[in-house]
Amino acid sequence: MKFQKTIMLLILIVMIGGQSSYAGDNQAMEIMKKSHLAMFYAADDGIAEVKMTITNSRGKERIREFAMLRLDIEDGGKQMYYTYFRKPHDVSRLTFMVHKIPEASDNRWLYVPSVDLVKRISADDKGSSFVGSDFTYEDVSGRHWSEDNHKILKEDKLDDNDVYIIESTPIEKYKGFSRKVSYIDKGHYLPLKEEYYNKKNELVRVYTAEKIEEIDGIITPTIRKMENVKKKQYTMVEFTEIKFNIGVEEDIFSERYLKNPPRQFIK
Amino acid sequence: MLTKKYSYLMALMIILLIPVTGLGSETYFTGFLQGLYGGGLDKDNPTLSDLTASETRLQLRMESFADNAEFFARIDFVYDDFYEHSTDIELREGFAKFRFGSFLDFKIGRQIVTWGTGDLIFINDVFAKDYQSFFTGRDDQYLKAPQNALRLALYTGTGTLDIVYTPRFTPNRTPTGERLSYYYPMTPEGGGIVGAPEYLFEADFPEASFENSELAGRFSRYLGNADIALYGYTGFYKNPVGYDMATMSSYYPKLNVYGASVRMPIFGGIVWAEGGYFDSRDDIDGDNPMIPNSKISTLIGFERQIGSNLTANIQYQNEKMIDFDKYVENLPVGMAGKEETYHLVTTRFTQLLMMETLSFSAFAFYSPNEEDFYGRFLANYKYSDAITLALGANIFDGQDEYTSFGTFQKNDNIYLKVTYGY
Repeated sequence: MKFQKTIMLLILIVMIGGQSSYAGDNQAMEIMKKSHLAMFYAADDGIAEVKMTITNSRGKERIREFAMLRLDIEDGGKQMYYTYFRKPHDVSRLTFMVHKIPEASDNRWLYVPSVDLVKRISADDKGSSFVGSDFTYEDVSGRHWSEDNHKILKEDKLDDNDVYIIESTPIEKYKGFSRKVSYIDKGHYLPLKEEYYNKKNELVRVYTAEKIEEIDGIITPTIRKMENVKKKQYTMVEFTEIKFNIGVEEDIFSERYLKNPPRQFIK
Repeated sequence: MLTKKYSYLMALMIILLIPVTGLGSETYFTGFLQGLYGGGLDKDNPTLSDLTASETRLQLRMESFADNAEFFARIDFVYDDFYEHSTDIELREGFAKFRFGSFLDFKIGRQIVTWGTGDLIFINDVFAKDYQSFFTGRDDQYLKAPQNALRLALYTGTGTLDIVYTPRFTPNRTPTGERLSYYYPMTPEGGGIVGAPEYLFEADFPEASFENSELAGRFSRYLGNADIALYGYTGFYKNPVGYDMATMSSYYPKLNVYGASVRMPIFGGIVWAEGGYFDSRDDIDGDNPMIPNSKISTLIGFERQIGSNLTANIQYQNEKMIDFDKYVENLPVGMAGKEETYHLVTTRFTQLLMMETLSFSAFAFYSPNEEDFYGRFLANYKYSDAITLALGANIFDGQDEYTSFGTFQKNDNIYLKVTYGY
């Protein structure tokens, strides 16, 4: 009997111990969820003009300009993106549409107006560059919080802002990063800084929210920077003409509008 | 001369006047200036010149739109001296587009139409193509030739119905012997590769009449995560594949096409399949060897990323003649016949480097039964957002001269292209 009691006690200790460490992960997970929603699911929909400046190691600049329309079907869940390219000239009028489904692969379509071609694009390249910039596809539409394990490293200050410093490691093997350290603002939960490390634990990329503004009551980063430390180059992204809750309908994200930009939103 | 000047003036007026008339609330102007220079690699090519391209092209684009209407024009001014000095002006696109509520779109004017799933293989896409441009290094956008057409898109709960009506039959632009040579079976030697001016290729055009117009339709929808579509076409073969023994000339026989396609993501890539029944209306019984037999054409392809910024695809196409026995029975003695089934394999590789500013691509067509080959190779470098440099090659090879690509085997060429866009 005594032996059984000891076993029971041991099981109980393991359970409580396990529980408490799980609770710790849970808090980190909860913060990352809030952060993800603040960063990628603000309001129900949104539109912005985006200017991307890519500066290479020799200081040479390349500019991409596009309008971006977003609709959330479910917070943290299914989401639709529509991108209308303006510059440079060789991609002008091109449209790109994504149906993002967090548990599955995204569905993506590209329309090339000069040849009236609708092309489906495979979505197995989340870690690859978005239009030649230092941002990846995943940086643009977000990596779901449930794909990584999260741990609070500490609570600290970053440039006078109170932040949680959270370490994320991919649950499944992932090419994009092996470890990510995020500095999440305790007030609005937006990441102020993110550091991406590779397999060898070398710092590869650093994201910083260069400017955060309140627009239509929603706090959002309006200038974002991604620096590739290894390649010594960086990309600045400036969001202007931001509007939220403009009443985008789901049917905008269909082949009809892929071929005929919704001019009520995109001038 | 006067008419040419007049047409330049007209084009400029269209560009300048549309925004002034205030049809759209927003107007944008873009375009590019491009130089393309290419030369043949085969010394004994019987064409007009050793050059395959020597042209300077200015493209002006204008778009103007309001919420439910859009106007678009794209005009090319070309100075071409691959043989003799010539100038040309072409309205590549010029259309108006209207949106009627939630169910109807309407596009009228000179436009480019594309559908189907193949990568440079077309089954249900029976719209005009420009193989002359395609084979000599012009940009991808020149593979599609414009048609003067009326396009309707009807959106219903079950899917989208597209109808394209082309009043005047618009054929493909195929090699004529001037810039690119081709195989001709009726030479005194009993067939050979020929060129202009001696063998300038010309074909009889169907007369302009209501019954000689083209009508194409597609019903498409999104099902699960697949794009599926049904197609129909009534018109003519886009290449002059018929030969009239009475007039001793090539022409475009009547053709109907019925088909279907599906495209969806799978195994981390995209798979597509398409099929079409080519109903050769001028050779219903399949007993006229001067007109292609009816056939069933099928295609399957798969594309995915196979490395860092490296994408690859592979396609297999199969074409089977319907009345092969009758074709063989009626084939004139001594004429090289086709096999019952045609096989084609293609592959494409695209590698992006240096933040997508440098790209290398290769596309190869190979037919194991016709034993011929066509390869497209291109290195493209974006020096800046405005300036692009391209170096490319088109390589043809074939065991025989009368096969699909073997016919162009003396047209191997390399080219250099510089584009300044604004």
